[in-house]
Amino acid sequence: MILNETPVRTSKNFNSNNIELKNFEVPQENNGFLNRNIYINSEKKIMIVAESQEDSERLNDLYEDNKVLVTEITKSDFKLKYGVGQENNPNQFIRVLAKEGATGVAINLEFTFDEENTNLQDAIEIYAEKDTDLDVTISYVPNEEFGEYSYHNGVIKLTALENANVNITVVNLLNNSSDNLISFENKLLDNAKLNYTIIDFGGKNSITNYYTDLFGKNSDNRVNSIYLGNNNQLFDLNYIAHCHGEKSNINIEVQGALKDEAIKHFKGTIDFKKGCKKAVGNENENCLLLSDKAKSLALPMLLCSEEDVEGNHSSSSGKAGQKELFYLMSRGLTEKDAMKLLVRAKFNTILEGITKNDVKELVSNAIDSKL
Amino acid sequence: MAKTQIEDINRNIYDFKKEDNYDYKIKKGLTKEIVEEISKQKNDPDWMREIRLHALEVYNELELPTWGPDLSELNMDDIATYVRPKSKLNSSWDDVPEDIKDTFDRLGIPEAEKESLAGVGAQYDSEVVYHSMKEELKKQGVIYTDMETAVREYPDLVKSHFMKCVPVNDHKFVALHAAVWSGGSFVYVPKGVKVDVPLQSYFRLNSPESGQFEHTLIIVEEGASLHFIEGCSAPKYNKVNLHAGCVELYVGDNAHLRYSTIENWSKNMLNLNTKKALCGKNSEMEWVSGSFGSKISMLYPMSILNGEGARTEFTGISFAGKGQNLDNGFKVIHNAPNTKSVINAKSISKHGGKCTYRSLVRITENAPKSKSSVSCESLMLDDISVSDTIPTNDIRTDEVEFSHEAKIGKISDKAIFYLMSRGISEEDAKAMIVRGFAYPISKELPVEYAVEMNNLINLELEGAIG
Repeated sequence: MILNETPVRTSKNFNSNNIELKNFEVPQENNGFLNRNIYINSEKKIMIVAESQEDSERLNDLYEDNKVLVTEITKSDFKLKYGVGQENNPNQFIRVLAKEGATGVAINLEFTFDEENTNLQDAIEIYAEKDTDLDVTISYVPNEEFGEYSYHNGVIKLTALENANVNITVVNLLNNSSDNLISFENKLLDNAKLNYTIIDFGGKNSITNYYTDLFGKNSDNRVNSIYLGNNNQLFDLNYIAHCHGEKSNINIEVQGALKDEAIKHFKGTIDFKKGCKKAVGNENENCLLLSDKAKSLALPMLLCSEEDVEGNHSSSSGKAGQKELFYLMSRGLTEKDAMKLLVRAKFNTILEGITKNDVKELVSNAIDSKL
Repeated sequence: MAKTQIEDINRNIYDFKKEDNYDYKIKKGLTKEIVEEISKQKNDPDWMREIRLHALEVYNELELPTWGPDLSELNMDDIATYVRPKSKLNSSWDDVPEDIKDTFDRLGIPEAEKESLAGVGAQYDSEVVYHSMKEELKKQGVIYTDMETAVREYPDLVKSHFMKCVPVNDHKFVALHAAVWSGGSFVYVPKGVKVDVPLQSYFRLNSPESGQFEHTLIIVEEGASLHFIEGCSAPKYNKVNLHAGCVELYVGDNAHLRYSTIENWSKNMLNLNTKKALCGKNSEMEWVSGSFGSKISMLYPMSILNGEGARTEFTGISFAGKGQNLDNGFKVIHNAPNTKSVINAKSISKHGGKCTYRSLVRITENAPKSKSSVSCESLMLDDISVSDTIPTNDIRTDEVEFSHEAKIGKISDKAIFYLMSRGISEEDAKAMIVRGFAYPISKELPVEYAVEMNNLINLELEGAIG
């Protein structure tokens, strides 16, 4: 199956135009996914269930006073085919609506995989109206001791209207026998700000497509992403940002480490469209190789049809600093602990961006156990 | 600040055309009969004819690239793949027919030969019309001749290297080249010989609706060194011309080769050239490349670092003006421990031109302790031009240092303001900044080669702005 195609092709021999997954099959059985919880400002809530998408819009009028409306839509005939290229027939359809002027809203969506819930195909729509301030954390985590195959194919779609300020954290800690496909699609209007933190640790195959359209003047999107691979995990990350609006700003920061025979493909595209005067785009990708069998492929693209812009990208790969390791070991740490400390230090600035402490701790433990 | 309009480069000194006065021009198109006819005209030995026919089969099987510039306007049925000028191979300019000599005179080649080159080869359409080399190099065993003579006189050397570095099935246009190649240079530098003064080959395509498919084969043996310069130009016609040359470079252990190219094809030229170098232990391969002309260019020189400690450096600049699509870059494969590569690419686009930097850095499992550093910068001179950067970095082992940096942008208003506040006019300030941008490349170009290259840089960067 061919997924995650880049917006512009390059030579086939470079093996970077897309990812071909061999022996990959979408599980036929789709029994739904019940193990999901929602918290609004730390309070556990029962989602409002709408029968259909139209229903959920009608509910919107009923809850006029609420700052935020989270609806679970049980029936939808809609099929999505987003960036990763794999069709998604959602068994979870959740809509988050932050109403105009709503501030200080924190939403936490938790999906827990276990024997009963192994196939999650979720579509999450987040709609931040004008002048909102919204924080969303979404986690895909297996139940303790659950080591079986699970399949996740999700779409998270965000629309941020004028002056909205949205902070989203997505955590993927699936086990290494699973498949994880996730696409993000964002649309930002004038002065909208979006901070995305993506923690990508799980899945034998983890395929991410991140697509953002900066339509608005002064719209600003920062993406901070970390990946950590061991065994024979494969990460394929395809980040695409289109700058349309004047003074729009995109900043992509991807930090990662690969152990054992893990493989990572990073494809990052910043596309300055005509008219995006004074737009700024930065892209930085750094991969720490912890084994001589690990492989890192990077394709950081800059496409530019506008003169008055500033675009930079940098990409680097290499081993952990021997000097730093030696220093830490001379202070009594074992090599393993010293290495852990270095990886953690590398990830730290991005981990700090996670707003929820328990999620932060979960990620922190995952780093320890992977290393 | 008012926008400075940048005029297109004045190509008058290259654009003069001579009457299409050929001795033999093969009919247009590409068929087995045509390839056999070329082979017959060129008196090929059997092994060469077989390579040509095999290459034609490969050509017919391969697809056009699915990436890069649109090549749909190329119709091989409209292209004559072999044009023999009315001249045999000469070793004195006096023997070269007047109109051909006049062409090279105007390009300044004989003059440069006198002043600063150790040997010169000049190709007009499909055949080399002039070749000479200084006596002392001959005595040291250096061979510098045209490819046809090499095939005849040094068959073993040619046979063991021809299309071995660049395999026939590398891509469609390599296969095309192998089927219809004609002309080009052969250089052999024996073990330990250092050629201090550069050798130069100049390729001129005069005939309209034709193709030039010269083959350059350079073998630099262990411990030897060479600087080779290649220049190309053509007058402008309304129909498409095609250039699909092939350059194979063999750099022996501890050897050094510098390969400088100035391509200034006319703006109806499709330049689909292939260049590859195989580098031995502790060898050094330097590429200096200036890409100015052509309508579409797809050119990605490649170094394969097979020997431990081999080093390669690429310094290149592309300048795309109106109607041009220059898709250039560099490829390097690190295939042995302790290898190093340094890549420095710049591009300038103006007047709706499109520059693309496309590259590959691959550090294989066999190349621990290798280092690679890539820097590419693009300058946009107006808001109707396009500039893309598409680099692939493929790192397959851990003990390496790899870094890649790219920047894109316009001339900084602050820098212009600063220079203007020092009493420099806006035009001069801009020209100064653009020249400064190109300086790391232009300083690498041989001063002796001033004849053509300096003209170009000045025309493009000084005269053009303001």
